[in-house]
Amino acid sequence: MQHDLIIIGMGLSGLMAAKTALDLGKRVLVIGKGMGGLILFSNTIDVLGKVPETLPLKDGLSHWIKEHPEHPYSKTGVEGIEEALSSFVSLFPPPYTFHSLDERNRKLPTAVGTLRPTYLFPSTLSGGVFLKEGNTLIVGFKGFKDFYAAYMAKQFKCRYLTVSLQEEGLPELTATYLTRQMEKEEVRERVGLEIKNSLRGETLIGFPALLGLNDPVRIKAHLEAITGGEIFEIPTLPPSILGMRIFNRFKAYLLERGANFLQGHKVSRVEVKGSICEGIEVFHPPISRFYSAPHFILATGRFIGGGLEAERERIVESLFHLPVFSEAPREEWFGKNFFDSHPIHRSGISVDHSFRPLDHNGKAVFENVRVVGTILSGHHYIDEGSREGIEISTGYWGVKRLFE
Amino acid sequence: MRAKKEEWLKKNADICIRCATCMAVCPVSRVTPLFPGPKNTGPGAERFRHPEEPSVDHWVDLCIGCHLCNGVCPAGVPISELNLLAKTKYLNEKGRPFRDWLLTHSYLYGWIGALFSPITNYLLRKPVVKKLLEIILKIDQRSPLPNYQSPLFREWFKSHSPKVGKKIAYFYGCFTNTNEIDVGKATVEVLEANGFEVILPPQDCCGFPMLGHGDFDGARKKGEKNLSSLLQVIRSGMEILYTSTSCGFMIKHEYGHLLELPGAEELANHTFELFEFLRKLKESGNLNTRFKGLSIKAAYFAPCHLRTLGIGLPAFEILKLIPELELKRLEADCCGMGGTFGFKKEKYEIAQEIGNDLKRAIDRVNPEIVLTECEGCRLKIRHLTGLKVLHPVQVLRDVLVSRP
Repeated sequence: MQHDLIIIGMGLSGLMAAKTALDLGKRVLVIGKGMGGLILFSNTIDVLGKVPETLPLKDGLSHWIKEHPEHPYSKTGVEGIEEALSSFVSLFPPPYTFHSLDERNRKLPTAVGTLRPTYLFPSTLSGGVFLKEGNTLIVGFKGFKDFYAAYMAKQFKCRYLTVSLQEEGLPELTATYLTRQMEKEEVRERVGLEIKNSLRGETLIGFPALLGLNDPVRIKAHLEAITGGEIFEIPTLPPSILGMRIFNRFKAYLLERGANFLQGHKVSRVEVKGSICEGIEVFHPPISRFYSAPHFILATGRFIGGGLEAERERIVESLFHLPVFSEAPREEWFGKNFFDSHPIHRSGISVDHSFRPLDHNGKAVFENVRVVGTILSGHHYIDEGSREGIEISTGYWGVKRLFE
Repeated sequence: MRAKKEEWLKKNADICIRCATCMAVCPVSRVTPLFPGPKNTGPGAERFRHPEEPSVDHWVDLCIGCHLCNGVCPAGVPISELNLLAKTKYLNEKGRPFRDWLLTHSYLYGWIGALFSPITNYLLRKPVVKKLLEIILKIDQRSPLPNYQSPLFREWFKSHSPKVGKKIAYFYGCFTNTNEIDVGKATVEVLEANGFEVILPPQDCCGFPMLGHGDFDGARKKGEKNLSSLLQVIRSGMEILYTSTSCGFMIKHEYGHLLELPGAEELANHTFELFEFLRKLKESGNLNTRFKGLSIKAAYFAPCHLRTLGIGLPAFEILKLIPELELKRLEADCCGMGGTFGFKKEKYEIAQEIGNDLKRAIDRVNPEIVLTECEGCRLKIRHLTGLKVLHPVQVLRDVLVSRP
């Protein structure tokens, strides 16, 4: 296989890098040991959750970049972020589109009954913005353990309904099973009617994000026609159907344009000569395969993705052994409580303007390797609410600047 | 050796982080709550299993063996293998029906079926015979039974006038030999048109059906027999090509990875999927690409075991070179056949439900023909749609300008 670019990692940043390279007419190989993190997160597009709803996000971002010169956003700039986001948004033609409300952060309900600020979200989620005490009926399914309607309803001081799709005594239901059920018209008729009969003046209906994989807008409209209320989806625990919709869309787009897509085996070795990466080896028992290309993108994420590994005393980058920048010494990695901010989540790879990894003297370690996504240093996406924004903008600009 | 491998697999159950990515792709748990999904049946249940205690995994037999879960696990848990070991123990204790023996030993009687193909095919189409098969053997009377053909592929090959050129060996697999002779013929013709002389080394069933039913000893015997024959041709300087992605996955990866047969690595290093090989020819400028136009609309389906091979979609790449061919990739994960899964009375409806998702994907494309590398998928897709379903090599042969 001959490629202009090999991308290691199949999360949002790797997929975004692949899309950008294909749009530039490049031949791309994407390698992922799994299928990236899109299935794990709630999958609205957070850009900078710290910006209050009262302020246009753009203004908040400019301010943030001025205050945080080491942040990945300072590499892309506000206009750069906007350009990258519109490239992402262009993947989703109507009716299932991603958009903001008034170009500001808005708070959407989560499956644990909290509100979370986010920037872009699919149209099937918009109604959640208007959730207020008493105006929403939260719907769950009996036997579906990834979404408890009663718990959510209590937090939001709303009523709830638990729909039973199964006869008594049958085992638990999974997200993909329920999603497939919701794709069936007769199931929607039944569920819709049960919801309609349970409404007591509520105008909104909060539904777990299971409204089908292929045509959620039509499914939402059908349920609305039956119930007379406005339906909105609420992200569930993994596996995230919202994430699958994004992943499937990327995959279709990339394969249509001739990308090679290898899932299931991790890169076992990199072949390095001086400051050049000559190729990578993938171990697929009992053999190894070698792939070479003039350029490489490392988009392996932080700890969950396996891009970074915490050893007893230090943090290492697992593939190229790149220098890792960590703001905190070992004893300060973790805060006292689980929900505290943990400084370990600020560790990452420092890069130059063209996303090449740097050593502690500020010198590029590799000429033909670019690093993008959450593995970058200078941010704490959990605290900031910036995960997808960082992935999309650095994935996009990592490739743009490479071929400019 | 085997104990060591099993121990290694079981230890790997503990690296599961319960992220549920595998739950997003399992084709079985998507259609039925009777199978609790890979996270639960694999690493989840493994923690409760004890070698001395009887198996309680009555649902593990519903694992279709597609390996899609392995391909997405970010932690590298060998979920399919854990399921297979649990299934082996369960079936060893519960006993296998005669039907399963019959389905995994078709190499013993396939040639008889082919020899008397007019009678065999007549009988296998008779409703009364199908009814009897269901009553006696629990082979669902609605399931798609294969068609037998004579003369055998091997016999046709003997009678055809060989071309002299660089020698290359072909592992055609049982189904090509007795049921889809044209796949073999097309492969020989395409290779000859590229200047090769095709050799058919002595070969037996690859053993994959037995392995899928937890018959490790039976599979190992087949593996040893094939290895000794195939290594001989490799050592005389030939590469080995295969057209069945399931047979290929077995001989290239499972002989070494799961069965740990001596010499498997050498075999794996010299064994290639046909289109993977043709893609290499293309990249070195040696592929005969004098193709006629073929003005039809075709849909391409990537079988599970092709994806497990980690070679991308080489047939899709090569087919795209055919002028005027309108080729669409089907966005679906599994056909539901699972080798022999779809024949079984207790599983037929699950197989059919899985297949219906693929059928909907096919309906969206509305093609004239469907192309896929796996014989099980071809059987199932014909059954689901009534469309003409071919191996990609059959189309490639048809468009060659100068056939040998």
